[in-house]
Amino acid sequence: MPEEIHAEEFMVNMGPQHPSTHGVLRLMLTMDGEVVLDAIPHVGYLHRALEKIAENRTFLQYIPYTDRLDYVSAMFGNYAFVYPIEKLANVVVPERAEYIRVIMMELNRIASHLIWLGTFSLDLGAITPFLYCFREREQILDLFEMVCGQRMTFNYMRVGGVSKDLPDEFVPMARKFVDYFKPRVDEYEEILTHNPIFLGRTKGIGLLDKETAVEHSVSGPSLRGCGINWDLRKNEPYSIYDRFTFEIPLGKASDVWDRYEVRIQEMRQANLIVEQALKQLPQGEFKTKIPAVFKPPAGEVYTRIEAPRGEMGFYIITDGTTKPYRVKIRTGSFCNLTVLPKLCKGWKIADLVAIFGSLDVVLPEVDR
Amino acid sequence: MTIEEITQILNNKFPEKLKIIEVTSHQPAFFIEKEILLEICKFAKQSDQLKIDFVNAIFAVDRTDSLEIVYVLFSLEKRHRLCLKAKLPRKDAEIDSVTQVWEAANWFERETSELFGIKFKGHPDPRPLLLAEDWSEGYPMLRDWEGKDFIKLPPK
Repeated sequence: MPEEIHAEEFMVNMGPQHPSTHGVLRLMLTMDGEVVLDAIPHVGYLHRALEKIAENRTFLQYIPYTDRLDYVSAMFGNYAFVYPIEKLANVVVPERAEYIRVIMMELNRIASHLIWLGTFSLDLGAITPFLYCFREREQILDLFEMVCGQRMTFNYMRVGGVSKDLPDEFVPMARKFVDYFKPRVDEYEEILTHNPIFLGRTKGIGLLDKETAVEHSVSGPSLRGCGINWDLRKNEPYSIYDRFTFEIPLGKASDVWDRYEVRIQEMRQANLIVEQALKQLPQGEFKTKIPAVFKPPAGEVYTRIEAPRGEMGFYIITDGTTKPYRVKIRTGSFCNLTVLPKLCKGWKIADLVAIFGSLDVVLPEVDR
Repeated sequence: MTIEEITQILNNKFPEKLKIIEVTSHQPAFFIEKEILLEICKFAKQSDQLKIDFVNAIFAVDRTDSLEIVYVLFSLEKRHRLCLKAKLPRKDAEIDSVTQVWEAANWFERETSELFGIKFKGHPDPRPLLLAEDWSEGYPMLRDWEGKDFIKLPPK
């Protein structure tokens, strides 16, 4: 289309109910034909005042609420909440519990990336990967169901350990899954990675340069997609992540395809971690005894972990009672979403779907 | 860089304007006068030694007699943390917006503003973020806030 021809600018509401926003996000788009001139995100449709509720619940009572932050990777919400409390109250977590937690979190990372991969490819019009991804995810959910009875909102971690020990069947089944999953990633890559249609939709689209990413405090795979080597598991090891060998996949061109590739490789690495953790899994206690009326000492602490969608941190202020005085939840999606208006300017509306998908935003985590 | 070194740099630059407080050693934070916040943030970002470029969180705490605003910051390049705090009155609180320093502060400030009633001077887009557009029931994160469906559990 020649430069000088312009359609009249018009506004389009994308969402709150739109299949490709994966949750309730409303984007107010200013369009010129099918080119996006401006996008204003409206969030808050899922605001449940989780930070306010925290002031009114005991520490144990609040754990189920953390499941509902990022419901596709609820183990991370659980862990992100109990970790600062353990730090504050100097709770020593048994070895076995730490291993169980890492296994659960990395399995959950795979499950979460699988959902992302499935829905992302569905947004771009590829239906098969979606079916494949859910096939594998189902097996992970079976494993979760085995240990805690839940498939989505686990409520599994406790201060000082986990709620239940692994059943005997778990380790063999998890091993089987690890072996089964390795070639499956190749399968996804065969369909997508070098597929010309997929490349056409993702290569060179939605460039996120390093400066903009840091300026918006983008974290997680979206940050690593533009080549910044920052992963809290490596750079600020928490739990027992320093005991495993794994790599941090990085992107180069910082486009949609790079963010896709980073997540694909992360699934492989997460699988490796699960494999190592299953090998090293020691016997012993799965939970430290903590008093029934648990009162951590007064203090403040901020800790953060590498969740599938970036840095998930809890700033917890306690006053020596059974309830937290203030809980501030920092999530990856919250900051990653702020960069969207800059990313999609000048791209077509179909690319907006790809760009938004590549950021992997989960809305309940934004609204809290 | 250790917290001692950071303290020294900030003390040299802003003599007698900040006092360090040690909160159970987990989260060392600097209490600053709210008037120098913007200046200190600009310095922290531009200084070659500090290079604070990453916002972890910006939020407020209701201390019942006053409000406290907390900036949890980090440097991706130098890999050190910086935590700034400022005291604000509970009514008509005002503080400079740091969105011009870090773009990521934008949404954090919008959220803090609507939940605590703090006004951020110079914020480019002060619309409410999470609450409904026609919300008129005050500032829900204040500890004495009362909503029609909100029931506090008895203290234990």
